[in-house]
Amino acid sequence: MEEKKTLLEEVSENIAFIRDSMAEKYGGKHPQWAWVYELLADYYKGACRAKEEGRPVAWVNFGVISELFWAMDIVPVIIDVITGLTAPTASAMRYIDIAEEHIPDHVCSNNKVLIGAALAGDIPIPDILVHPSHPCDSNLATYPVMAEYFGFPYFCIDMPYFRSERASQYVAGELKKLVSLLEEITKRKLDVNKLKQAMEYSNVAHQYILKISELRQTIPCPYSSIETISEYAIVLSLAGTPQLADYFKRRYEWTRDRVARKEGHLAKEREKIRLVWIYGAPAFDLSIFVWLEREYGAVSVANMNNNFVMKPVEDISDYEKILRGLAEKVTYLPMTRECGGPWEHYLDATIDLCRRYKADAAVFAGHVACKSNWAVMKLVKDKIYDELGIPTLLLEVDLFDPRVASSEAIKANFDAFFELIR
Amino acid sequence: MSALEELTGLASDLVNPAVLDWKAKGGKVVGFCCSYVPEEILYAADILPYRIRASGCAETSSADIYMTHLNCSFVRSCLQFALEGRYEFLDGLVFTNSCDHVRRLYDVVRETVHFPFMHFISAPHKVSDDAIAWYKEELSDFRGNIERSFGVEITEASLSKAIDVCNETRSLLRRLYELRRSEIPPVTGAESLSVILAGTTTPKDQYNQLLRRLLEELAEREGTSGYRARLMIAGSGGCDNPAYYEVMEDLGGLVVTDSLCFGSRYFWEPVEIGGDLMLSLAKSYLDRPSCPRMVDKVAERSDFVKQMVEDFRVDGVVFQRIRYCDLWGGQLLHLRKRLRESNIPLLSLEREYMLGGTGQLRTRVQAFLERLES
Repeated sequence: MEEKKTLLEEVSENIAFIRDSMAEKYGGKHPQWAWVYELLADYYKGACRAKEEGRPVAWVNFGVISELFWAMDIVPVIIDVITGLTAPTASAMRYIDIAEEHIPDHVCSNNKVLIGAALAGDIPIPDILVHPSHPCDSNLATYPVMAEYFGFPYFCIDMPYFRSERASQYVAGELKKLVSLLEEITKRKLDVNKLKQAMEYSNVAHQYILKISELRQTIPCPYSSIETISEYAIVLSLAGTPQLADYFKRRYEWTRDRVARKEGHLAKEREKIRLVWIYGAPAFDLSIFVWLEREYGAVSVANMNNNFVMKPVEDISDYEKILRGLAEKVTYLPMTRECGGPWEHYLDATIDLCRRYKADAAVFAGHVACKSNWAVMKLVKDKIYDELGIPTLLLEVDLFDPRVASSEAIKANFDAFFELIR
Repeated sequence: MSALEELTGLASDLVNPAVLDWKAKGGKVVGFCCSYVPEEILYAADILPYRIRASGCAETSSADIYMTHLNCSFVRSCLQFALEGRYEFLDGLVFTNSCDHVRRLYDVVRETVHFPFMHFISAPHKVSDDAIAWYKEELSDFRGNIERSFGVEITEASLSKAIDVCNETRSLLRRLYELRRSEIPPVTGAESLSVILAGTTTPKDQYNQLLRRLLEELAEREGTSGYRARLMIAGSGGCDNPAYYEVMEDLGGLVVTDSLCFGSRYFWEPVEIGGDLMLSLAKSYLDRPSCPRMVDKVAERSDFVKQMVEDFRVDGVVFQRIRYCDLWGGQLLHLRKRLRESNIPLLSLEREYMLGGTGQLRTRVQAFLERLES
């Protein structure tokens, strides 16, 4: 009998399939569309083999940097990327239903997919789970409980509520404790030279990410909507690896040349509406982005989750300085930066994003479990209009579960919205 | 009037006679939203600490302009009261990062309602030397802000006295709970809740006097017998309505203990006083029976419930949580497993802050009591 695949193996296979499809269908005209999936496919193939190769696996939340893990030869599996990549499949709903037999339905489905998969025995438990205390209750409510329930090591990077020099020092202290725990689990000391190397690769990637970010603000946008959102997965998963540095170098050169030719994903006259998504996107059906481009010439030029504005860690001369730099970086990762802390963090980042990318409209794909953002969305929407004169579409959705709002319902909302604003 | 009647009266009004009296004498009152705000610091500044509630809130139409149905009804009710001006008697508000809903209450209130003083304490989510040191600094900042804003000096002597007074409160409430261990407890759960609620808005000296009188009176009081089952209430904050307990007790259950922040967790352990009073406060407030905002205490929270069940000879645990309370929702996964391992029956209830139609609640509790009796 064929051995049942784990969720990680399924995701790995799905990504490999997408990579091959992209290459086959678009390899001639849009070869760059496959690049992200090439990187992801290799990464997940490696992640699936990690255990048998004797490499520990860490479940890492989106608010944590990967450099430390790669430097310690631990494979970081970004659990939010796994759940996001599972969302388009029927498995996601099955896992959510399993989880809801044990925890309330209003807990974030990002967490429910993971819990459900773990309860179903479809994902092997990790060697450690690491996440920050930002940005939300749902993470705080589920990750430590999962660790106790399933019995695996766990570390929460406690993050102060407000950003400050003192807060960064506190977080650096937390990272130091994390390293000690990782050393205990791996039974080997962190090699600071390896960490420096990881930081060098990470910094190279980051320099290019920032340059690409500038180029993506051009009209017409050189990136497609899907490209804008899909890089999130590799930045989180592969920060600190030479593969990511190579990818972004290649991607920068491609984007730079495209902008120099004054080319956009859509031709200038066809790019009618520039949308900025000020939260996540419906992971269960990213074809909505393609539909928007096709039906309305609406290009999603920016997404909060792909807004990597933190600077490279400049001083990597010694371990303490690296930790201090990583502490700063962790504080400014997308979603942590906006959704942790007071609402001004979210407002300032959102207005900045809309302004830089010359948004015609903002879209809040309001995940029903994201209580903190919904609590201030009226204030944010009003401020966006006051400052920038642009409207915001509010969508009440579940980013992982189409049963809350289907693709059709989302599209109907866009139809009505565009009718109003055009 | 008996002490119990007086305490019940103090608990039932948003602005009770004790608060009015305090204000009339020129005293300041500062509201706080979470049991992770040390009342002692306010009390040492001769400010009455007032734990925010929204009892009697019937609708949240104004609050819902800003917050949504996806936000906790306790917080929306508090926002409603703030927008209606029901908290106008407060000279300030203090918040902490208890949960997503409370921290956003801070944000929305700042933008919509004016309070002369507002402060936010960034409390750690775990207990460690660094976390305690951080929390101590945060509390010191809070102390300094109180001093500057209200033109007072919080001396070591006044802080020490405030800690002593609050510790006496804790000790007296522990004694009350000890009485509830007995086979025939002299107070019901609803009455005990009223007693605790009174303490969250009444000057502590006055409250402690009433508690001492209450304990004397209860020694002579005929208690409750003939109940169907001994119950424990655990779960979300905002469980501050004695009528909720009365539904269960009218059906024959008797609430003998709890794990609530408007309950045992508010007073269970004293502030252990060392040389450094601010450090003592930081340690004691952070490292005590916790709410799930504290990530490193998952097992400890479930064990606290289990221990209470044993100590108070509880027949069944009623775990209630306000809808959209993720923190307690997550804890349920672990708690259910821990109680199942010990064959302790659990009833899980979801509710809104306002006690609406109680039919469904009665049905669920009735079924639970029948299960406990069988």
